[in-house]
Amino acid sequence: MARSVWKGPFVDAYVLKKAEASRDSGRSEVIKIWSRRSTILPQFVGLTFGVYNGKKHVPVNVTEDMIGQKFGEYSPTRTYYGHAADKKAKRK
Amino acid sequence: MARIAGVNIPTAKRVPIALTYITGIGPSIAKQICDATKIDQARRVNELTDAEVLAIREFIDANVTVEGDLRREVTMNIKRLMDLGCYRGLRHRRNLPVRGQRTHTNARTRKGPAKAIAGKKK
Repeated sequence: MARSVWKGPFVDAYVLKKAEASRDSGRSEVIKIWSRRSTILPQFVGLTFGVYNGKKHVPVNVTEDMIGQKFGEYSPTRTYYGHAADKKAKRK
Repeated sequence: MARIAGVNIPTAKRVPIALTYITGIGPSIAKQICDATKIDQARRVNELTDAEVLAIREFIDANVTVEGDLRREVTMNIKRLMDLGCYRGLRHRRNLPVRGQRTHTNARTRKGPAKAIAGKKK
């Protein structure tokens, strides 16, 4: 079920603070965040976030299309290199 | 024979049923069309006058996305997700289920027919 509108979008407070700080201090840097659950807000467009995937911070350049989705959607948590058996079959 | 929204030519069926042969029109929208054009739902397509067919055609043109336009819209939406680099896009790229279903077993609709894994022991 979708979230109630009256609550407004969910964003961890520290993400907002960091985003504002980098905005004021003339941009560029990757903003490291761990909060994959935070919604991407319109004021984040143009900034680059390093979204933690459990191992490292994946750089995500926020564009307009991403608004309303969560940061976690842009930082995959699983690595999958295919099955060993498949590779063996290809070598033959 | 009635041509509505391009190529579709449903004939001897009741109007709301016949309209569902158009991609993008299901039972519910078909009924809405009948209500809006004041056509009795028990009537069949071959009983319609030219004016009524025209009314249906105009209503669809004005209010509903159908056929080619609809298909284009859907593929554009999928393409947008793929270009975005988000999780749903990745799933589309790999032809795997997008909405969190299990893939350990099943998921054959997306994955296609089962492929034998070479060297897998019984």
